[in-house]
Amino acid sequence: MEVTREIFRHFPLWMEISFYIAAFSAIGIFLYGFFRRYKKYKKGRPSGRFNQLGKRFAAASKKMATNETIFKRDPVAGWGHLLIFWGFVVLFIGTTIIAIDHDFLELVFGFSILKGTFYKVFSLCMDVFGVLFIIGLLMMMFRRSKKIPQLDYARPDMKQGDFSRKGYKIDDKIFMWVLLLIAISGFMIEGLRIAVDKPDFEVWSPVGWQLGHLFRSIGFVGDNAFFATYWFHAIIVFIFIAMIPFSKSMHMLVDFANLMFADDMSAKKLPGVTEEKMKESMGYTKLEDFTWSELMDFDACTKCGRCHVACPANAAGTDLSPRDVILDLRTYADSKSGISEIFKQTFSSTNNKKEPALAGDIISADRLWSCTTCMACVEACPVGIDHLNTIVNLRRSLVEEGNMEDMLQDTLQNLGDYGNSFGKSDRMRARWTKGLDFKIKDARKQEVEYLWFVGDYASFDARGQEISRKVATILHSAGVDFGILYESEKNSGNDVRRVGEEGLYEMLAEENIETLNNAQFKTIFTTDPHSLNTIRNEYPDFGGNYKILHYTELLLQLIKEGKLSIGNKLDKRVTYHDPCYLGRYNGETENPRNIITALGASLVEMPRNRSNSFCCGAGGGRIWMDDSHMKERPSENRIKEALTLEGVDVFVVSCPKDFAMFTDAVKTSGNEGKIEVMDIIDLVEEAVMMPA
Amino acid sequence: MNIVVVIKQVPDLVEELELNDTGTDLDREWLKFKVNEFDDHALEAALLIKDAQGANVTVVALDNGLDIDKALYAAAAKGADRVVKVTGDFEGYVSSHAAAKALGAVIPSLGADLVLTGVQAVDDRDGQLAVLLAHQLGMAHVTVVTDINVSGSAATVHKEYGGGMIGEFNVQFPAVLGIQAAAETPRYVPVAKVRRAMKDTNIDEISADAAGVDAGTEVQKMYKPETGSGAEMLSGSAEDIASRIVEIIRGKGV
Repeated sequence: MEVTREIFRHFPLWMEISFYIAAFSAIGIFLYGFFRRYKKYKKGRPSGRFNQLGKRFAAASKKMATNETIFKRDPVAGWGHLLIFWGFVVLFIGTTIIAIDHDFLELVFGFSILKGTFYKVFSLCMDVFGVLFIIGLLMMMFRRSKKIPQLDYARPDMKQGDFSRKGYKIDDKIFMWVLLLIAISGFMIEGLRIAVDKPDFEVWSPVGWQLGHLFRSIGFVGDNAFFATYWFHAIIVFIFIAMIPFSKSMHMLVDFANLMFADDMSAKKLPGVTEEKMKESMGYTKLEDFTWSELMDFDACTKCGRCHVACPANAAGTDLSPRDVILDLRTYADSKSGISEIFKQTFSSTNNKKEPALAGDIISADRLWSCTTCMACVEACPVGIDHLNTIVNLRRSLVEEGNMEDMLQDTLQNLGDYGNSFGKSDRMRARWTKGLDFKIKDARKQEVEYLWFVGDYASFDARGQEISRKVATILHSAGVDFGILYESEKNSGNDVRRVGEEGLYEMLAEENIETLNNAQFKTIFTTDPHSLNTIRNEYPDFGGNYKILHYTELLLQLIKEGKLSIGNKLDKRVTYHDPCYLGRYNGETENPRNIITALGASLVEMPRNRSNSFCCGAGGGRIWMDDSHMKERPSENRIKEALTLEGVDVFVVSCPKDFAMFTDAVKTSGNEGKIEVMDIIDLVEEAVMMPA
Repeated sequence: MNIVVVIKQVPDLVEELELNDTGTDLDREWLKFKVNEFDDHALEAALLIKDAQGANVTVVALDNGLDIDKALYAAAAKGADRVVKVTGDFEGYVSSHAAAKALGAVIPSLGADLVLTGVQAVDDRDGQLAVLLAHQLGMAHVTVVTDINVSGSAATVHKEYGGGMIGEFNVQFPAVLGIQAAAETPRYVPVAKVRRAMKDTNIDEISADAAGVDAGTEVQKMYKPETGSGAEMLSGSAEDIASRIVEIIRGKGV
């Protein structure tokens, strides 16, 4: 007997024809479904992501092959998904080989490659990966049976009963069961075939071999049993194929594309608004305002809920869930494109407005204003969705209409009038330098090596000023040649841009760049991670190209060079909080840690550290808004996390806003005396021997 | 209906104030100016009426050269339909009398049913502009207004008195209202909108030279508050205090 397998074994002709009709129908529905999605994306604006296609493809392929973005912080889901993924890929390739062999090579050229040794290897691969596939599915089913909170799909902005997401849950269940049934019935077909023919070489299909023996022993054999199982398998496969563009399975195709076309500067560098667009509204008000890649983001979501649980606004009990923003926009985009979702969310409380506003009604102002732009959602998303970019684009619409709270409005007004968020005269900006026993160089008039971009909080906030004086004193004693811009410095605009006041941002950035370009310096440094982010990542678009360091990098350099000598080793157990804009945004997590250990202190990590740090709640303009409605401020949540660490009584920060936020949080959470918030410069000051 | 809103620029108190050499005015060369807060409320009140029922809003300001264009563009960006700069000799401090006279000469040509202006300003605590302007225009007036409800050619307005008392008035148009506060915080206007307004808006200029600005008061001396001395607290019965007061006044030779 030849080493191969008979395709359509014992099939009468009509059955074979029926198979092809069904197969092509399923593929037809699949193509139609994808064509509709494609048409939807075509409605989007260009997004300039067709550059470096090779690099993009390679990067996305690596993420997909390793499933690394799914493994991140959830190895169980990672392994489950990896087994399903590779199981599916190998079985898909196997099926494709059969199709090519039978429907093309044999039909056209009259020969087959699916025999002999190749057939044996092929059979073994299919069986092994089929088993792995089933194991992966069972792992995921078990995981889901444990009632993972974010998978109940509860919305923080609506009461139970005002919405239904049964469709989502059904979609999830169907997806897993269909895959499982396809795999099991596939093995059964193999078993039934082997049970009758019993060829020796089929030991290379170990699962089919064993099943074959089993079926024979219980008398489950014969053509009818084979046909019935075969058609069961075929029909669910066809249903699965047809449903791909209409269900959760969509992610198999869309998410590779989404990873490939994701922006590697996402969140760090927000898109500008073209002059053309500025003329009507700087924000998004309609479907056509989205870029195609943003529209694809909405379809890419698998509802895994990682962004939902990472979000500080959600943890604080506000209405915002980044997941729900994306899903609501999917519902919106589909309804505007005439796509009726099969597995959808429904709302019982109907919006009476005839033409609900995208920003304000579809996504409420409360939800949009709750975002701290901490980037935890973007960082957590395994499929490259850029929630933040979309939230800011919608905020821009709110700003355009003046839909914001009074405090924020006053702050923006102040920023426009005086260039700072405190509403102080710009002449007061360098007032913090009073009380230093030396004069800081005026970088506008004198050449300096380092230009210190001080930032608002470090200039105007009383606690920030004290820290700034310490930084100045220590750098001065270490012989660093530095200067400041005095009253010519303006707010860097990082958070103004993230509030959505793009015009004001441009104004501030342009003014700063003009000042910076007229100053002579080699490198900029700042204590403020927010300023660091926009100067480093966004100023280049406005013609400002500078090298900028965070002061932790500079301090570490000075320690390493011996310019700061550590005289008193610190006997402290401390924990360190990564500022969002330093750690997550700019990947700088080790410099501050290296300083802390160099000073002799022992560092204990909080469970959420480095790129998984938990926001203090101040970013994206939140520090200019009321937070009294929150159930628990993110900063208080974070202090509680630090208090779980044994023997830690110092909470080290490296951001002026963090210092203000966390000293407040220690008080408001009633933990005074239990933990002390210190800037990293406080530690340096204690440890370093100052020249007398 | 046509609403005319009168605005002006006032010194920004965020800066330290300095006097000029003659000690009759602030040293305006180094000052920063911003729209009078109460005028901002007057504009908001007008825009709220416009939003609710439609109205044609014209914003008028005397051209004293102090960034007034910027203020008018911002008003246009917020939703004013027309912005007008009244030219004339308005340098330095312009008293309420002078302002009322100049505006009184110009506003009739704008056809106002309702004129709104701030009840007062940091450089004008007498709160007379609305009253004097109503006199010039021969219109009814209510000042310290906190709420306006327009119906037809009249409005029900709330006037604030001391101690939290509110008076309700029915005022027939045309009328002048001195606005204490709009029903909502004056709206924020994004920078992009102001920039757009700067491109798309024409500031109309109307001369008020003929009106003459010699009316009103003249500042003879301006000075920073001086620390006084010799305050005496009186105590005792009402009669004792009264006779002590009489004694003091007599002693001063009044």
